[in-house]
Amino acid sequence: MSGLAKTAVLAEEGGNNQNRKRSLHITEQCNNKRTKSDDMSANEKKSNFSLLNPHSNGSVKMTSSSMNKPGAATKKLVIKNFKSKPNLPENYQETTWSKLREAVIAIQTSKAIAYSLEELYQAVENMCSHKMASQLYVNLTNLVEAHVKANIEQFLSESMDRQVFLKRMDDCWRAHCHQMIMIRSIFLYLDRTYVLQNPSIHSIWDMGLDLFRHHIAMNTLVQTRTVDGLLLLIEREREGDAVDRSLLKSLLRMLSDLQIYEEAFEHKFLLATERLYAAEGQRLMSELTELAVPQYLAHVEKRLREENERLLHYLDPSTKWQLIHTIERQLLSEHLSGILDKGLKALMDGPRLADLTTLYGLFGRVKDGLVELCKHFNAYIKKKGRTIVIEPERDKTMVAELLDFKEQLDHVVTTCFQRNDKFLYSMREAFEYFINQRQNKPAELIAKFVDVKLRAGNKEATEEELERLLDKIMVLFRFIHGKDVFEAFYKKDLAKRLLVGKSASVDAEKSMLSKLKQECGGGFTLKLEGMFKDMELSKDINITYKQYITPSQHLSAVAEGGGLELSVYILTMGFWPTYPPVEVRLPVELTRHQEHFTKFYLAKHSGRKLQWQATLGHCVLRAHFTQGKKELQVSLFQALVLLLFNDGDNLSFEDIKTSTNIEEGELRRTLQSLACGKARVLSKAPRGREVHDDDHFAFNGDFTNKLFRIKINQIQMKETSEEQKATEERVFQDRQYQIDAAIVRVMKMRKALSHNILITELYNQLKFPVKPADLKKRIESLIDRDYMERDKDNPNQYNYVA
Amino acid sequence: MSGEDFDALDRGDNDGQKSDKMFTLKKWNAVAMWSWDVECDTCAICRVQVMDACLRCQGESKKDSYGKQDCVVVWGECNHSFHFCCMSLWVKQNNRCPLCQQEWSIQRMGK
Ligand SMILES: [Zn+2]
Ligand SMILES: [Zn+2]
Ligand SMILES: [Zn+2]
Repeated sequence: MSGLAKTAVLAEEGGNNQNRKRSLHITEQCNNKRTKSDDMSANEKKSNFSLLNPHSNGSVKMTSSSMNKPGAATKKLVIKNFKSKPNLPENYQETTWSKLREAVIAIQTSKAIAYSLEELYQAVENMCSHKMASQLYVNLTNLVEAHVKANIEQFLSESMDRQVFLKRMDDCWRAHCHQMIMIRSIFLYLDRTYVLQNPSIHSIWDMGLDLFRHHIAMNTLVQTRTVDGLLLLIEREREGDAVDRSLLKSLLRMLSDLQIYEEAFEHKFLLATERLYAAEGQRLMSELTELAVPQYLAHVEKRLREENERLLHYLDPSTKWQLIHTIERQLLSEHLSGILDKGLKALMDGPRLADLTTLYGLFGRVKDGLVELCKHFNAYIKKKGRTIVIEPERDKTMVAELLDFKEQLDHVVTTCFQRNDKFLYSMREAFEYFINQRQNKPAELIAKFVDVKLRAGNKEATEEELERLLDKIMVLFRFIHGKDVFEAFYKKDLAKRLLVGKSASVDAEKSMLSKLKQECGGGFTLKLEGMFKDMELSKDINITYKQYITPSQHLSAVAEGGGLELSVYILTMGFWPTYPPVEVRLPVELTRHQEHFTKFYLAKHSGRKLQWQATLGHCVLRAHFTQGKKELQVSLFQALVLLLFNDGDNLSFEDIKTSTNIEEGELRRTLQSLACGKARVLSKAPRGREVHDDDHFAFNGDFTNKLFRIKINQIQMKETSEEQKATEERVFQDRQYQIDAAIVRVMKMRKALSHNILITELYNQLKFPVKPADLKKRIESLIDRDYMERDKDNPNQYNYVA
Repeated sequence: MSGEDFDALDRGDNDGQKSDKMFTLKKWNAVAMWSWDVECDTCAICRVQVMDACLRCQGESKKDSYGKQDCVVVWGECNHSFHFCCMSLWVKQNNRCPLCQQEWSIQRMGK
């Protein structure tokens, strides 16, 4: 007998018990996974052997490495032993076995063993060497079986406290394992030789498990009591009680080691879990108020945490997937829309970011959870967005509210929904949907909003802030279907900013223009750019005009009472908004200047005509008051009225109207600004804020003001709904030309196209909503006008006519 | 108002002397719209307003096009007017004014 092997056995006795158990458990698992083919079983037995080898030290790593290479140690043992075969005395077998039997019973009854372990080990080795291994194995099996069998009694008594029962079962199992380890170390040689050579024979350890399973664990009553006891403990823990987790852990390990975890326990456990959480989910949901949704979510999170802890502490890891899915199914999947119906609005309105993050996290765990969340998110945006857009009372704040709303949603999607593309897309879709629920108005208000921001005097933002704001506005603009409606209103305001010099910053104007161009293409901004170009060209024209007026002409103008400096903005009709033509009576002096300029201009540009826009003109007037000289910045209309007072001091409304020919309403507002506003350069009799037909006006010589230059604001007529209608109508009329141009553009490029492809192309190009029937009409019209023709062979195809 | 009076005002000399004119115009920023001087503001060939570029030029959607410079108006001796582009194509097939059937000859071009 090799001294090496003996030392091994002895050393094991002193080994760490707990570590060894863990190793055993792991062996079982490894075995479970293996196919039990014959050539494999030899290997398995070696594995078991190596597990008991003290060199493994209970370390998993060591174990697996020695499993992989059945080492030289095994060989050594076998060879040496067969070499020296001692002669045996009579009845050697009986006496040796009775010695071993005595030792096993001592182990089973926790008594002291009368022999040294070395002696016993030697006895086993000797018996094996003399072909008594088979009988020895049978004897040992019977001995173990008798003991295990006897153990059943304690579990069959009628009434036993469940906790006591489980404790006793645990003790029994621990004792069995302990005994089997001791027995195996004595019979190690048997395990290594006889068992190894006979694939159909269980290792001693497996034989012990087999017997325990057969006589104890598979007993119906015992198994039911054990499993029910375990389930009860878990149920109590789920209700919040503290339970003996190590007991649970040990017994569940037992079931795993006995390979009955799944059939005896897991199935029932999952059923109980399902029932519990189904009931809990339904109860909580039925009581759920809108405000309690965050608590419900927190509860689900808590439950998931708890069950994960259970997996960590005592459940077999193989249960994880099913367990977690059961909870998710019962607490989440079953109630997806219930949770969202009740809670999403309040969470979004908050916005309660932490709760939304939780919601997203939980819904992301279950099938269709995020789809459902996204659907409700979309519906929420559409509903809330619609209320912002649809009510005329909210028009004043619509754009600001939309910007806030968008920003808040962006924030939620970024911080809570992980910038999920589906949510981003859904948000855009929802915005596009609701913002077009009301025709034209959102486009108009967005244009006006931009105007306020681009107007001089808006000092609330730095250049960078303004730029950022414009970018945000562009996001809203992108959703608008009737982009040409925006353009029309934007143009009106832009005209005002340019002509009155009210624009805050050329850079900001150009920046906005390039954003629009980028978004909608050059065709869209062509006319807006034309307006800027007109402003530049006008500057040049005025410089040339000044040079054109020869000194002599200038002098004669001065002599005739001029001294008047004329500058003219020449606007290209079509680029600019249309203004109603207004005929007013100008003083001779002005008429002369006007005619002079017209002659100059038409000489340079043949084939053109000029239409003077009195409503857009502005003047600087010198005024003499008793207190001193002032300069008044006024509109042309205000100037025309004031100039009348050079020739007569007390004028009636009727007089002024006749002399200037200014339209009545316009004149009333003009007089109001001069006689009833902040700077009253005229006095009105009788006094009062309104201007009546029989009122009289006089020059207010006593007018005083700290400033030298005074701007007298013209009272703006509130934009009437008729005017807005007119703007919209012009937009709609213009659409016809836009469609024609787009069709020709596409056809010119593609030469021949089928009807459907042409329509698709047009929808890509046109910046406003249009019906297919309207497109068809325009196509017909272009065919009539020989821009295109139907293909002779294929009536569904059009060809471009060059 | 006499020249002397005006000069006095112009020098800002207002002590004592009371002018008979309380208001004098110093500056006039006028606004005028230009358009082609045509009888009919729509081109009969492409049916687009002559102030806009013709249908084909709009189709080009040139980047730096401000419309008119490229696509001017042309007047015939008959005083009818069209986009120059439209008319140039038209006369290749038919050298008559599409509106009055007179033989087409250019009277002037827009500038
Ligand atoms: Zn034309
Ligand atoms: Zn053209
Ligand atoms: Zn003609």
